[in-house]
Amino acid sequence: MVRLGLQLTLRAGREAIVRLVLTAAAVAIGVTVLLAVFAGYHAFQATSGRACWECTQAAPARSPASHLELWNYSENIYQGRFIEEVDVAALGPDAPLLPGLTKLPGAGQFYASPALADLLKTVPRDELGQRFAGTEVGTIGYQALSGPTDLVAIVGYSPPKLAALPGTIKVDHISTTKDVQGTTGIYRLAFGIGAIIVLFPLLVLINTATRLAAARREERFAAMRLVGATPRQVNLIATVEAVVGALLGTLLGTGVFLAWRPVLASISFSGQRFFLQTLTPTALGYAVLIVGVPMAAAVASLWSLRRVRLSPLGVSRKVSPPAPTFWRLVPLLAGIPLFVVPLLGIRNSLNSNNPQISPLIFVGLFLIMAGLVMSGSWLTMQVARALGRTARGGSALLAARRLADSPKTAFRAVSGLVLAVFVGSLLAAIVPVFSYAESTLGGNAASLTNVMRAPYDAGPGLELPPARATTLVRELGAYKGVSVVPIYANPSFNAQLMFGPAPSSPTGSHHEPAEQGQSPGGYAQYDSIISCASLRQMPALGKCAPGVSAVYANANNDILTDNPLEIDMPVVTANNPAAPSNTAGLGVGTLLVKANSSATLEKARTLLTLFDATMPMSSAGGLTAWQMGQLEPETFGEMAEIRNNDVTNAETVALAVVGLTLLVAACSLAVTAGGSIVERKRPFTLLRLSGAPGRTLYRVILLESLLPLVTAALVAAATGVGVAIPLVKALPKLRNEPNLALPGPVYYVAMGVGLLVALAVISSTLPVLARVTQPDNARFE
Amino acid sequence: MSAVHVPSLTLPGPPDGPGYLVEARDVVKSFGETPALRGANLSVARGEIVAVMGPSGSGKSTLLHCLAGIFKPDSGEVWCDGQRVDRLDETKRTKLRRQCFGFVFQFGQLVPELSTADNVALPLLLNRVGRKQAYERAVYWLARLGLEGLEGRRSGELSGGQAQRVALARALVTKPTVIFADEPTGSLDSLTGEMVMDQMVDSARAEGATLVLVTHDARVAAFADREVVVRDGLVLDHQIVGVAG
Repeated sequence: MVRLGLQLTLRAGREAIVRLVLTAAAVAIGVTVLLAVFAGYHAFQATSGRACWECTQAAPARSPASHLELWNYSENIYQGRFIEEVDVAALGPDAPLLPGLTKLPGAGQFYASPALADLLKTVPRDELGQRFAGTEVGTIGYQALSGPTDLVAIVGYSPPKLAALPGTIKVDHISTTKDVQGTTGIYRLAFGIGAIIVLFPLLVLINTATRLAAARREERFAAMRLVGATPRQVNLIATVEAVVGALLGTLLGTGVFLAWRPVLASISFSGQRFFLQTLTPTALGYAVLIVGVPMAAAVASLWSLRRVRLSPLGVSRKVSPPAPTFWRLVPLLAGIPLFVVPLLGIRNSLNSNNPQISPLIFVGLFLIMAGLVMSGSWLTMQVARALGRTARGGSALLAARRLADSPKTAFRAVSGLVLAVFVGSLLAAIVPVFSYAESTLGGNAASLTNVMRAPYDAGPGLELPPARATTLVRELGAYKGVSVVPIYANPSFNAQLMFGPAPSSPTGSHHEPAEQGQSPGGYAQYDSIISCASLRQMPALGKCAPGVSAVYANANNDILTDNPLEIDMPVVTANNPAAPSNTAGLGVGTLLVKANSSATLEKARTLLTLFDATMPMSSAGGLTAWQMGQLEPETFGEMAEIRNNDVTNAETVALAVVGLTLLVAACSLAVTAGGSIVERKRPFTLLRLSGAPGRTLYRVILLESLLPLVTAALVAAATGVGVAIPLVKALPKLRNEPNLALPGPVYYVAMGVGLLVALAVISSTLPVLARVTQPDNARFE
Repeated sequence: MSAVHVPSLTLPGPPDGPGYLVEARDVVKSFGETPALRGANLSVARGEIVAVMGPSGSGKSTLLHCLAGIFKPDSGEVWCDGQRVDRLDETKRTKLRRQCFGFVFQFGQLVPELSTADNVALPLLLNRVGRKQAYERAVYWLARLGLEGLEGRRSGELSGGQAQRVALARALVTKPTVIFADEPTGSLDSLTGEMVMDQMVDSARAEGATLVLVTHDARVAAFADREVVVRDGLVLDHQIVGVAG
């Protein structure tokens, strides 16, 4: 019987082959997307679970000398991209080795990550290469990196030289704790949600594909019953047919995925590309698909035959499925509290190193989506019945009765799109909240986009000393197109920090001149002094009062904030009190550097980086610069961009999820609409012969898809926005963003475009309708 | 039956005129390499009931489909009420079929999701007749054909004879000029077939409609005014068996 099933599947003429090809193609699309999701999840898990070697701590004093190593971690930037640098020097034969290396670099050698190595080959040395002392001797393996775009250098030093650098510590092992970042918990949550969201329409697609042209198939089975086949034999043949199509589709999908994997690896996902090595489903993932999909297809096929009485006289006695009842709303109504309640208490957990996310959230989400799909058929039936009672045209009547008769079948085709609407609405309500918190520089701050700040204020009295500052400003000024604004530390401010407020001294510092309007306390409330002449190079910072050569200002503190949106601009106005015109003896807290090109900017950054290395940075308590939150020279634009990345990445993930869902759902819709036309070839053709215009039948097909889609999409959109409220409340706050922002115009445009895509997909099946109902092709038995 | 109120209905249709209502002149039609009609001629007068007979594969259904504007002949002419049907484009032929013709086929012609009332009202709704009027006409015709109380049933819940009478009601509801019936009793037992034929012929005569029916059953053909035989794609002979109208 299996052999007969194979023969009927593979060698039963054109129609059987077309059905097989269509089934296999639809399953292949589903399997490709599913494998991509599995692979992405695996890669994400591997990345988010990699050892955080950056977190390496100073060794305790009792550590054996043979295991010790000098370690100095710092960060740098090249054109907005972070570079991680570790300077190392082995102190003993068993000095710990970083992941991704086979041996530590010797003095004057360094290893670079693949992306950094590529950059070093193409970028002039004074813009980047000079920042790393020594010769490149190898590439860092993927075990140490989060992705192929990571810029990392591991630089070898001689122990005396490295020990002299500020921030150097002794370590005896490399940290293997997980690299948990602030957004890891959020991404993990998003990935879980995304996987469920994509999985659902995939199952619908595979299910639909394996039941393609079921009516035609059932006629054939009835004919087999006529010649003596038992129901069991018919079921076996149906199973063989479904399994062959699904297996072919699975193998084809796996092949497409493997071919497409390098392309997938080149796509930036969550702001980071994945290594090809990690972007692969697990062996279990492959096994589940190759076994699971054909099995699921067999079950779907048998399930579809369950409602058909295949007597030897035909399949006309079709048992009508029971009409959906109000109980179909229960999963949706149960899912909402299951999703919302656990969310109320997870905010702190998301911020921790080991985010605990209650599985109930996923159960709730699954129930909400299952509920949307289940209640969709009930809603479809209600709307269809209402339309049937009032339909004035033939097409509306045909569509309404069909929908009311089999709302589950009708809705199944659009359930994927409805889920996409749910996800889109959910995200559209979440993303604007974060966009509110993180947006690009605007207003006066916009002119600072390409201005780099170099912080030298390591604490009161630890500014860049006057002589070194003069040298640095002179060296920077040597680059053509570079202008520099030094922001000097106000000695009175520092004295107050160190020794408390001055009692009643007429002057707070020996720097202060006896000028009119001068405060008795040396304007200790201002943390900095700025030369008015240098200020003119960056007008956005403000302007001094006429005739004043230097002013007191609160610039150092303001400008060192990590969110440029919070800088009060302008920093200087005519109201700022005049400061001593002679700034020669003042230490520099911050340098603002502006360059006329990105190449010059990088040259200046290289200089600042190298210069920085000789700075007396604090290493109190053995903390590394990484742990102290050392601020590397970066432009205000880069700061804003880095802060914006989380939002941008969230949007990318959201778009990827919604895009995949739409793709799968659109395939599902096309397969269903096409299958429905083929199944109803006879009544449609007879209607055409009886004078029903082609456009009437087109409208029937459109209405049958759009009515359930629009109805359920409205419910899905409302649910999505409603569910977003507790989710936004649960996520960590970045600023004082509101708990809910109504979706912006992009959302409405996206929904409109989605609807148009659905229309286009349905319309793509209309030529099939025109062809199968063409009177010239009519044949009647 | 006589107590049933007949709702009025106005549909655009071809004007009355002298001569034959439907004509096929030297009609040739092939399907690929297989010739179905090889110069068939047939003329049907207004109000006439004509049975087209012949063995399987003789081309009788193809002739009916050409007369009804379903198939476009490869050559020859098809006329209906003074207009060349074969020269009309598909849109106009569709309109002609919708407004002037009614169809009854062997089986499978009812839309399964629709109730009997919906099925009968459907052609009127397609002709943009108001919903209320369409359903009044549908209920009237169902009652006239003895199908009272079955308005809400689906095709799967009807017997073969009931389904054919619903199809007949649907064919008649637009007050067609010509009814084309292709093996209308082919799937029915002889008694039921006879009842359906009785009602079809009576209704056609009462409505003044022309009836062209294709059959291979002599008992069915006996209901017609005239029989023609098709063999090998040609209309061979004419036989008057009754009096038109």
